[in-house]
Amino acid sequence: MADEARLLDDPELQKLLRQRSRWRWGLSGFLIIAYIVYAIAGIYFAEAYSKPVFGTSIPFGMAVGNFIIAFSILLSVVYVRIVNRLEDERVREQEGRQ
Amino acid sequence: MRGGGTNLAAISVFIAFVTLSLIITWWSARRTHSAGEFYTAGGQITGFQNGLALAGDFMSAASFLGLTGLAFIGGADVMLFVVAITVSWAFILFAFADRMRNLGRYTFADVVAYRLHPERLRMLAAAGTLTVAIPYLIAQMVGAGALVETLFGLPYLVAVLIVGSLMTIYVVFGGMLATTWVQVTKAVLLLSGGTVLLLLALAKFGFDFNALFERAAEVHPRKTGIFKPGGLYNDPISVMSLALAFICGTAGLPHVLMRFFTVPDAKQARRSIGYAVVFIGYFQVAIVIIGFAAISLLSGHTEYVDESGRISGGANMVAVYLSRLVGGEVFFGLISAVAFATILAVVAGILLSASAAVAHDFYSRVIRRGEISDQAEVKVSRWATVVIGAMAIGLSVLFKNVNVAVLSTIALAIAASVNFPAIFLALYWKNLTTTGAVAGGLTGLVVVVVLIILGPTVWVSVLGHKAPIFPYAYPTLFSVAAAFAVTIVVSLADRSQRAESERARYRAQVVRSEIGTLE
Repeated sequence: MADEARLLDDPELQKLLRQRSRWRWGLSGFLIIAYIVYAIAGIYFAEAYSKPVFGTSIPFGMAVGNFIIAFSILLSVVYVRIVNRLEDERVREQEGRQ
Repeated sequence: MRGGGTNLAAISVFIAFVTLSLIITWWSARRTHSAGEFYTAGGQITGFQNGLALAGDFMSAASFLGLTGLAFIGGADVMLFVVAITVSWAFILFAFADRMRNLGRYTFADVVAYRLHPERLRMLAAAGTLTVAIPYLIAQMVGAGALVETLFGLPYLVAVLIVGSLMTIYVVFGGMLATTWVQVTKAVLLLSGGTVLLLLALAKFGFDFNALFERAAEVHPRKTGIFKPGGLYNDPISVMSLALAFICGTAGLPHVLMRFFTVPDAKQARRSIGYAVVFIGYFQVAIVIIGFAAISLLSGHTEYVDESGRISGGANMVAVYLSRLVGGEVFFGLISAVAFATILAVVAGILLSASAAVAHDFYSRVIRRGEISDQAEVKVSRWATVVIGAMAIGLSVLFKNVNVAVLSTIALAIAASVNFPAIFLALYWKNLTTTGAVAGGLTGLVVVVVLIILGPTVWVSVLGHKAPIFPYAYPTLFSVAAAFAVTIVVSLADRSQRAESERARYRAQVVRSEIGTLE
């Protein structure tokens, strides 16, 4: 266990952890705030949410909601690719160092 | 409209599913010997398979039938739920996937107990698992009974017995391997069945979304009012509580968390939840469109919807009726059978998590303190499964008339208020101590139960009082905040030696949780 704790002093690992936590909290925060703003704004701008998006009959609020869903899917796919790539790179570097 | 009791398509599809699931169980039983194989299929499920299984775990009949029903009744308000669900899964991916996988073996208790007092934390986690799993299990089974009564014309008791015995057979003999493959099969059935329903419904409008929404507003008694949010919840506290119930609650569901351990490593854990977000997100959009198509198409058909807009057999029947209207008898039978298969697969997953809590966390780790052979632990798990399965059947018969929505609310709110704060702080907060985690978990449990009893779901709907003492249906904003506050304050005030060593072990935990086991 003590050995594991000492690994934290490694600047390479620190860099990896910083990168990961930036993605982790950046994306989580973005989506959660987007949802809460969307949901609470619905209370005060109910009328605007029910108006159709210009040129269609699709209500604005529902269009935005579906857009947040699509965006969550997109961000998740991007996140998995980026973080898994970072991990592969670290493993490759470690093997290179040995 | 009652019936379809002689619907041949429904019965043949259902029998085909049950036969296939029993073959899967038989195949899995020959590969399930050790505790690791029983609880987590030996960690050999691939990311894609696990993604489907996770999606299946979450897409219960309650969410498919319930949410289409909600869209039918509440219109645009359904967006609050479907967006919250998708965002919550993305959050689980970002915040939980890799750290959970690297720290745990069989259950989420492994993760919270990693650097804290193992016995006390496992007791808390086992309690947190059972208080979520039992109401969830009963909610699903009572829902199944009612559904089968309406669709197949079978008596309630028979339906509950079929669901209860099949789920117990899957778990006892096939463990996680059978549970996973039954779940994967069902997820594929549900996703493809839902997609066909979506396409058939859209075809009625020449695949023109504008026509669909225009027609919905035209035929609904509230006209364009159905596009206006706020019919269900119209104050910020309710909306925030709902958001927290889904975001923290989904991340605290024991049967979902257990799936993280069925894949070999953190990379596969990320991939599996990535896939789950794609499937679940897609399905939420489909549900909304199916719901609005149902408004457009079902209105005016008096055999389904009466003059005042009430649906015969309850709002849960909306998707099933729509399938008959757009696809005829055969397709109707197919969707009914898929809905039933969905319940079967979901209850099996919940049952497995409950039996892991009893056999692994409580019996093997707390009572026997880990002094137990692998074989003996598997045996205990199988017996625990039989006992909990029988209990669930009994309780479902006893509580036939319980409000299913109340039970699901309770389960999700407890998951958010008891399990989530403990896991989140164990993973990310250095200063968490055993005393803090236990105090916070118990606070969350007490606050959530008291507020639900005093709130509209129990105080008014069940106990029949005029006005609720606590005005909000979801108490999560208060209960989650209370659990976090107590955990943090008690942890910080904890000056014991044990607390110091727990804080000191955080650094090692971070390394392990981020890069996995060291070779």
